[in-house]
Amino acid sequence: MKYVMLGLLGVSLAALAVVAACSPEHDAPVTRPAEPSDVIDRDLMIALGQAKNLHRKARIYMTDGNLPAATAAIRQVLSLQFPKGAAEAEDVRNDARALLAKLLVSQGQIDEATRTVDEGLAQSGRESFFVANLYTVQGEIHEARAAAFDAAGDPGKASAGDERHAAIESYDKSIHINERLQKKLLEER
Amino acid sequence: MATQDDDTLTGAVPDPDTEPTPTELARARRFADLVDKTLSGRTPPAMSADDRALLEVATVIRATSGGLELAPSAARAAVEDALRQAIGVDAVGASTGPVMRAPMRRWAPWAIAGASALVAAAAIAMLWLRGPVAGPSVARVPSEWTSRPADPLVGPIARDRAGDASARIDAIFADRLDGFRARRLARGGTP
Repeated sequence: MKYVMLGLLGVSLAALAVVAACSPEHDAPVTRPAEPSDVIDRDLMIALGQAKNLHRKARIYMTDGNLPAATAAIRQVLSLQFPKGAAEAEDVRNDARALLAKLLVSQGQIDEATRTVDEGLAQSGRESFFVANLYTVQGEIHEARAAAFDAAGDPGKASAGDERHAAIESYDKSIHINERLQKKLLEER
Repeated sequence: MATQDDDTLTGAVPDPDTEPTPTELARARRFADLVDKTLSGRTPPAMSADDRALLEVATVIRATSGGLELAPSAARAAVEDALRQAIGVDAVGASTGPVMRAPMRRWAPWAIAGASALVAAAAIAMLWLRGPVAGPSVARVPSEWTSRPADPLVGPIARDRAGDASARIDAIFADRLDGFRARRLARGGTP
């Protein structure tokens, strides 16, 4: 009997302790600063500045007709270190991949250009105008392949047709992404 | 000077068949009155040594003959002493007030435990009914200070501008630099 009574008292005291621990003083709203990855910091500006300079460097090389040097400069953009979680990183890399693919196509490296675009599409975590641009470049690559098959004569006619069909599909994907994003941006305004 | 009345215990023992003298009868009646007064709690404050000795003998004889009841106050004192010893209270040092009655002793712990359980239940109910407490609030910063997708800044990329990445990175850098500077100024120049 005595132990039952002591048990009741213990349970009651424990319940009161729990209630006291959960009192509003313990979980009062506090203001905490935004996460470091949410704001524009020095590291993000450094990465963006390096990308900007590499693009300028590539533009000068392109003006001089030095496409291999321009290609090398753009490849360096892909290896830049951005702050973790920075949304700009994916956009900058996809834009560099689009330019890199065009440079490779102009140098006859169509397979390498295809691989560059496919990697960019595979690594993209969200739809963006830059992803749509990659699909546009992908369509251009298919057109370049079709032109190459056309240049081969009658044996390449069928493959050229397939490539042109693939190009249309790529352009359609680009168009749909642009439409969805524009609609979304209009709704957010 | 000693009298015959003073040699009751030391004088010669009279023959049992001898008729009592008037003096002996008077002494017997007086002693009977003394015994009655003592039994009724009205013992005279002063008496002779012989009377006191005889009175003690008479009291013992009466007690041993049975049928003697304790006075109510004496009986209550004896019971309370026994109860104090049973609950571990010093019988000598304890107050002369009455010990807690048995039913109250039996129910008091249950009453205390029940009351504390009720208080705990009421506290839990209040916690339940209070509803969720607002969680920690995050300080909002202007969107231009934050890292974010560049889509609103760049817009749809036309096919003839597909390779114009240099112009787009210039625009992105300039826009983010504005946000970085604004945040830095708002923080007093610290990055």
